[in-house]
Amino acid sequence: MAESFSFDGKDLEVIRKILSRYPHKEAAILPVLWYAQDKFGHTSPDVQHLVARTLDVPEAHIHGVVSFYTQFYEKPMGRHVLDVCTCLSCQVCGGYDMLSYIEDKLGIRAGETTPDGQFSLQSVECLGACGYAPMLQVTNKQYVNHLTPEKIDRLIDDLKAGIEPSFESMPPKQHEKDNRLS
Amino acid sequence: MTDDWKTYKPLLLPDLPGLTDIETYEKYEGYHALKTVLDNPDTWSPEEVVLQVKDANIRGRGGAGFNAGLKWSFMPPPDGKPRYLACNGDESEPGTFKDRKIFEFNPHLFIEGAIIAAYAIRAEQIYVYIRGEYRAWVRILQKAVDQAYQKGYLGKNILGADFNADMTLHMGAGAYICGEESSLMESLEGKRGYPRVKPPFPAQRGLWGRPTTINNIETLANVPLVIRNGSEWYRRIGAETHPGPILYGISGHINKPGVYEYPSGMSVHTLIHEVAGGIRKGKKLKALIPGGSSTPPLRADVLDGLTMDSDSLRKAGSMMGTAGMVILDEDTDMVDVVWRISHFYHHESCGQCTPCREGTGWLEKTLRKIRNGDGEMRDLDLLLAICNRMEGRTICALADAAAWPVRYSIERFRDEFEAKCKQTVYALS
Amino acid sequence: MPEIFIDYQRFEFEQPGKVLQFMLDAGLDLPFFCYHPCLSIPANCRQCVVKAGMPVLNREKGTFELDDKGERIIRYFPKLMTACSLDLTDGMVIHTHHSDPLVKQAQADNLEFILINHPLDCPICDQAGECPLQILTYKYGPEGSRFEHKKVHKPKAFRLGPRVVLDAERCINCTRCVRFTDEISKSHQLTIVSRGDKNYPLTAHGQEFDDPYSLNTVDICPVGALTSADFRFKARVWEMNQTPGIDITNGKGCNTYLWTRDNLVLRITPRQNDHVNSHWMPDSGRLAYQRFNENRVHRPHIKLDGNDQVRTSWNNAILTLREQLEKTEASEILAIGSPHAPVEDNYAFRKFFKMHGVSEFFFVPDIRPGSGDGFLLSDDQTPNTNGVRLLDFKETTCKNLSSKIQGDKYKLIVLLDDSLFDRPDWPAIDPGNSYFTVWATNHTPTTAAAHLVIPVTCAAEHAASYVNVDGRIQRTVAAKETRYTNRRLNLEMSMGRLDHYGTQFDNWVDEKNRIDCIPAWEFFKKLDAEARFDWNSSREVLNEISRTLPVFEGVSYERMDTLLGVPLSISRNTPVDQKKTIEPKP
Repeated sequence: MAESFSFDGKDLEVIRKILSRYPHKEAAILPVLWYAQDKFGHTSPDVQHLVARTLDVPEAHIHGVVSFYTQFYEKPMGRHVLDVCTCLSCQVCGGYDMLSYIEDKLGIRAGETTPDGQFSLQSVECLGACGYAPMLQVTNKQYVNHLTPEKIDRLIDDLKAGIEPSFESMPPKQHEKDNRLS
Repeated sequence: MTDDWKTYKPLLLPDLPGLTDIETYEKYEGYHALKTVLDNPDTWSPEEVVLQVKDANIRGRGGAGFNAGLKWSFMPPPDGKPRYLACNGDESEPGTFKDRKIFEFNPHLFIEGAIIAAYAIRAEQIYVYIRGEYRAWVRILQKAVDQAYQKGYLGKNILGADFNADMTLHMGAGAYICGEESSLMESLEGKRGYPRVKPPFPAQRGLWGRPTTINNIETLANVPLVIRNGSEWYRRIGAETHPGPILYGISGHINKPGVYEYPSGMSVHTLIHEVAGGIRKGKKLKALIPGGSSTPPLRADVLDGLTMDSDSLRKAGSMMGTAGMVILDEDTDMVDVVWRISHFYHHESCGQCTPCREGTGWLEKTLRKIRNGDGEMRDLDLLLAICNRMEGRTICALADAAAWPVRYSIERFRDEFEAKCKQTVYALS
Repeated sequence: MPEIFIDYQRFEFEQPGKVLQFMLDAGLDLPFFCYHPCLSIPANCRQCVVKAGMPVLNREKGTFELDDKGERIIRYFPKLMTACSLDLTDGMVIHTHHSDPLVKQAQADNLEFILINHPLDCPICDQAGECPLQILTYKYGPEGSRFEHKKVHKPKAFRLGPRVVLDAERCINCTRCVRFTDEISKSHQLTIVSRGDKNYPLTAHGQEFDDPYSLNTVDICPVGALTSADFRFKARVWEMNQTPGIDITNGKGCNTYLWTRDNLVLRITPRQNDHVNSHWMPDSGRLAYQRFNENRVHRPHIKLDGNDQVRTSWNNAILTLREQLEKTEASEILAIGSPHAPVEDNYAFRKFFKMHGVSEFFFVPDIRPGSGDGFLLSDDQTPNTNGVRLLDFKETTCKNLSSKIQGDKYKLIVLLDDSLFDRPDWPAIDPGNSYFTVWATNHTPTTAAAHLVIPVTCAAEHAASYVNVDGRIQRTVAAKETRYTNRRLNLEMSMGRLDHYGTQFDNWVDEKNRIDCIPAWEFFKKLDAEARFDWNSSREVLNEISRTLPVFEGVSYERMDTLLGVPLSISRNTPVDQKKTIEPKP
């Protein structure tokens, strides 16, 4: 039996606000899909159906959109999704080593989810943190930079304990005193 | 370039803490440029703003390097119907991580620039398209936008003038192609990010069929500088044909990776060896990808005297791109790097045009074959042939971006590719 | 007049437009896949690339710059341009594969790209033989492929909806199907899913592609990605004959092609007529092929004793009916025409019984309000309601007519091809004590009740005219042979390969497919003992109609053929002013 998903009054109020920012309702599709994914954890077919009905847009169109963008999860994922960047700068700085380390640690391959549903692991394209390679993103949220096996161990322990990583600011090194001379 | 850079005071990312807060920003001349414009509509008519920005020659920082003011001047005269400014913060080109610095450390500079741009092109709606992965930065920017609304820099009758502007942040959801301006518009309209056929250009038919200008975040952050100090002042910063401050994103095998703001036209060697602390582990440099993954890689031996501006890079056989410099040391396996770049473009091709949809996959599969030790010499010529067939044959430039790194890597590092192919062991039956 | 130069040849154009459409209209060849004249232009297949340039204008003088030889200096676009999206512009210069080696190369390159992930399974693909990809590859494609890797795999033989099957590996992502559901049928049921070379068209999760026009996507699919669930694996297209026809399941009268092999209609596809149906037709009309083949009335049937009908000879049928006519007063004959039957047959029916003194002619339109969609499906379920109206048949209802039948007034009921007993509003009655004669194409509850059943040709077997809901008279061409027609003799009938090179002794030939029936007009000619009708073809019947009935003035098969139907001066769905029609003269 498929789960049923619905938006409550508060959700509809948010969606109404989103709609007010655009001249055409179709433009609200991406924001509303994001909102739905935050609420339900995925944009599975049932959620797509809900979004289509709520916005009164063709469901096929929603399907096409969801499957085009990689951040939307058409299938439910693990509680924590580890998106390890392996692209270019991260590749040359050991992104694949970090990916293998996590694969070994969690006992799954990239693209899989641990049997307990705690972790999904993905090898992803450039996340725009090239200067802080290798890095990963946790469930479309915080970036974890300058990965090392130790840092990964800590991260996974934290996540298991329900502690999400906090935002890691990377101020420009230019302002550091020692950078002025080299 | 002399040693001026050592005394250079950053303009886009100044060494001033707390600029995210609007009051701090205001303390340092924040929103003065906008006030100047709106308080003096006679001197600063929209046309005059366009003229000044055009004269300043702010070259688009998103990769194409087109004069921003000139782009604005393509907007048709107003007809009373909506017009739009779309700000491109999709920033997905591998090697590029600069716009997020503006969001994080100086968001109001960008907001101010965007409002002035909207005034100049007579648009009342500003959409800021930010890649979905940058959720944390969207939050920071949203806070800044809210402050700007509270202070009356956004909304109705801004600073008492007859000018309204609304700014909406719009999150992408993981698609490199949405950084292409027409694809960005499709995505904003809630569709699959398929680039549009041009013409018509966005200034003629953009968002929802209405005139639209699309500018990169960094480009817009330069606008208040021009208004504050004049175009002549701006043109004197950095390289003559590509003036202004540039956010150099330096990554790869480098001691101090990060984003650095210096004038354009910085010596590549200075940036690598002095600014960013030299090659990691004391290795030698093998190659430089100067402006994001799509710009052709340069061999270390052509970097002498090379500066980071479009003219100099073009002469050396590459491009300025986004100034996202990827440093590759002597141990780098070029075949592996190029394969990974190809993998990226294969993954990110939207699949609309035949040559790109099929060609990116073919390139990747062939490169993977060589990388895995099954390559043959003829594969190299085949790769070049595929590049020939992809370049210039598609709606947008993704096919070109996918082909260039392959083509130029094979041309410039052919010895490595050949060596890889020669290692192939053939079965004797 | 503005001019354009294509491969050094000068053309003039009047209307603004696109280069590709202009070239197609001018009969020039250029390969393309994604372009369709009725759909938006995505320019995504990149097959129609040309080299294009504009003469350099000297703004001061207002003239074109000339070179040393006095020729215009042309500034070419830096990239090859897709002709489908390129606006016709005065002075534009175009080079296609005929005059530019780069364009020729680009076309071959593009086909090589398209084919790398294409399964190349033409031998088992239904589209083979009518596949633009196959045809264009032969003509413009490369000699072979240099692709040596594993192809991308996608769903195969996937049931997209009740009538359409998807082979996603064959898909070349032209998006014609998606654009069709977005722009023409407006069901928005299809989208492209995924990204890059994993792209293919699909519906929403769990949704059926049950658009009432879904099979049009099969027609416009330029490869074998979308095929008809019904027609799959039935025949190779080169074995079939293609004959123009009219959709007889609906009042709109969509123009069709009937595809036959060995005198069976195997599929029906739309035929372009911009006055009626453009390139499209509803799925429902395509299923009509079954009624052309199956459950046909073969030889006259007669009830001797009890309720069982037996086959009888034509001669006996004619004599029996003549006998009935002799012993019945004209006022005791109830004559019912048919909106299913063509103009010619209704005319002959009416003329015959008029000569026998019958003065009143009825027919029952089958109009179901609300069942139409304002596009290609009308409320009218029959192809010729207006035609029957114009011939001065009186409109009546099932209820009125059935009470007439039940009464004692009529001793002989003659009903032209119309299965009234199947109508939803037909009261369950038996035809009483009168003698009931029916002309029919198929066995139905109505024919089962008849004392005498005369088999008549169906729309696939005769050339005949129908007047659609908009008052347009259009005609069919015989597509399948009856026992009495022969393709080799009837030059209007199409001759396929199998007809040319096969013989009746080939094992694929089945004589049963040729039905023992004749057109109704021909039957009335035979029925008339005094041989007063001199028609030798339906063409001559129509000529008589156009001579004698002003509303049909000027209508002929020739005009219908050249003009794709002739509009008659009546307005849509309004009863024709009875006074305008003149009594047909014997």
